[in-house]
Amino acid sequence: MTSREVLAVAAVALPALAAVGSAVAPRRAVGALATGGATLAAVAAGAVAVETLGRPGTTAVSAWLVVDPAAGILVGVIGAVGLASVVVSPSYLSTVTRSLVRESRIPRFYYSLLFAFWAILAAVPVIGNLGGAWLLVEATTAVSALLVGFSGTPRALEAGWKYLILTSLGLGIALLGVVLLAATAGGGLDALSWQALARVPAGGQTVLIAYLLLLAGLAAKIGWAPVHNWLPDAHSEAPAPVSALLSAALLPTVLLVAWRSSRALAPAVGTATAHAVLVGFGLLSLAVAVPFLWRPLPWKRLLAYSSLEHMGVIALGLGFGGPLALAGVVVHIAGHAAAKALGFYAAVPLLSHEPRAGRHAVGGVARTEPALAATMGISLGALAGLPPSPLFFSEVLIIAGGFAAGRPWTAAASALLLSLGFLGLAHALLDTLAGRARHGTQRGRSDGMRTVTILAAVTAASLLALTVAAFWLPGSELAHNLAAELR
Amino acid sequence: MSGALAWFLVALGLGVVVARRRSLAVALVTGQALVLAVRAHSEPGAAAALAVRALVLGLLLLLVVSRTREPRPVRSGVAPLLRGGFAVTLALAFTWLVPTLGLASRNAERGVLALIAFGLVAVATRTATLFQVLGIVLVENGLALAALQLHTGSSAAIELGVAFDLTLIATVAVVFHERIFAEFGAGDAGALRSLRD
Repeated sequence: MTSREVLAVAAVALPALAAVGSAVAPRRAVGALATGGATLAAVAAGAVAVETLGRPGTTAVSAWLVVDPAAGILVGVIGAVGLASVVVSPSYLSTVTRSLVRESRIPRFYYSLLFAFWAILAAVPVIGNLGGAWLLVEATTAVSALLVGFSGTPRALEAGWKYLILTSLGLGIALLGVVLLAATAGGGLDALSWQALARVPAGGQTVLIAYLLLLAGLAAKIGWAPVHNWLPDAHSEAPAPVSALLSAALLPTVLLVAWRSSRALAPAVGTATAHAVLVGFGLLSLAVAVPFLWRPLPWKRLLAYSSLEHMGVIALGLGFGGPLALAGVVVHIAGHAAAKALGFYAAVPLLSHEPRAGRHAVGGVARTEPALAATMGISLGALAGLPPSPLFFSEVLIIAGGFAAGRPWTAAASALLLSLGFLGLAHALLDTLAGRARHGTQRGRSDGMRTVTILAAVTAASLLALTVAAFWLPGSELAHNLAAELR
Repeated sequence: MSGALAWFLVALGLGVVVARRRSLAVALVTGQALVLAVRAHSEPGAAAALAVRALVLGLLLLLVVSRTREPRPVRSGVAPLLRGGFAVTLALAFTWLVPTLGLASRNAERGVLALIAFGLVAVATRTATLFQVLGIVLVENGLALAALQLHTGSSAAIELGVAFDLTLIATVAVVFHERIFAEFGAGDAGALRSLRD
């Protein structure tokens, strides 16, 4: 095994060990163990990201493991968001009054599930086989559904149930695509490695059907329209640190599986067809998300619809292909993860400051809790694409990539939808921070504000660094390598 | 695969769509998986995975049925005959729309598409939570049938993967079903309608 492969295995094994440790540790030690485990796991994940992005031309690939720059970016994102989620979790757990399990078991149950989710998520980008990736994605559903329904309230049960049933059905459809690919490729599970799939003979109708089934099934898990119904419910009812992992890490990680499938099968189904499916899902997701961004929604639900929009943007970038669009995708995945995770973390103090925020749009937070307002402002401003947000530059790169790829009408339609989405979120931003508080609003103290303020400062610095990276990335070796792999 | 066997599996699937009693539907999907296990006798790994999965899931679901006795049957809102009609129509539409899948027999292909259609209809038209889980099991039984009909003989690994996945998902679904039953007094997804935009 190379050092890169060892790091990748460590990035998966460490959170898995932390999950086991959290399940068996004495109750008083769980918090410390979780923080220690998360720190080690995040360091390993960061090392994978640094190693792969530092030497983008080198890729460790075997039948079961692929440690390339795309995997490095996702493992790094999962590590960073995982660590931040664990750091915020004590503030969330201090507010928990009921759960799926007895009160004495809550911390162990919560942390063991959180780390199990993290470990499985981290394994998805580095698995070198479509069959293995499918199995891992399905496993994330089982674990994360329990986390979505963690509070045990009727609304959480509803969200968890919808998520479990809809994504399982979707992944069942995707599995039919996998089975058909196995039939076409021949040679058992090894035939489903990313490398082997790229050698599937072109022109067969079965491969095209398999590709469409696979993408349609994965779309249900990514939250692409029109199979996104579970997404706003699950993101809004899950514990805030879990919502951050779902939105910032799970969705783009499954999207990576869709991209790897598209890239591998492009020679067989035709590059134009493979890309058109991604562009179609991207445009549709944007078109469905934008009207919701104009409505006064509860904070976490607004962030959930913003996830639908951003997954659409990433799909467009992958569908356009080319160094410009792919550079935009890299910046967009990282920027979205940072800004969206911060938004969900802000929900912890927000819900103690204004309990109605769970079901209603909030307004005028800046008047009563300036630090919280600043945090929410950084998150929503960045997500809206307000300059100097890196998401503004990534969206410009993706649109430019669309024109460069010879899709001017699609790029123009995307630009129009993104502008409308920007206006919707900008309006929500103004209303949330400076608008009028709803009648009868009771406001109290904000639990966990100190932790979230520190995270806001770190996130703001990271977002600015990403903005700088957005200028450097388009001509870089990394963008060219990602694009070259597509050809 | 013989036409008679494919039609038998499809008939068991249709039974799940129209059945009123949960225990009967559990028995039907379990029987379906056991038939598939017998059919896979030439591949011991696949047969074992299917048989163990069928028995474990069957026992788990029957245990849940006994632990969550409904005071009265959960009404689905769509009459059994209509459900059956939807299921058959969707199955025919799939068979008509989807060209050849590349499996060893055309009968098996039709059976796979029919079972997937029945699973989708069961989830969409039944509000009893346990029946929605059985819809997913139906879809996975269809996929198990597809894996058995691969020319390449790689079905054991796929059956093992499906068995693992389905057991995991069903276990989590059972946790949710019991909590929903405790919360609402019935395993009825129709009660879960508070999240709307």
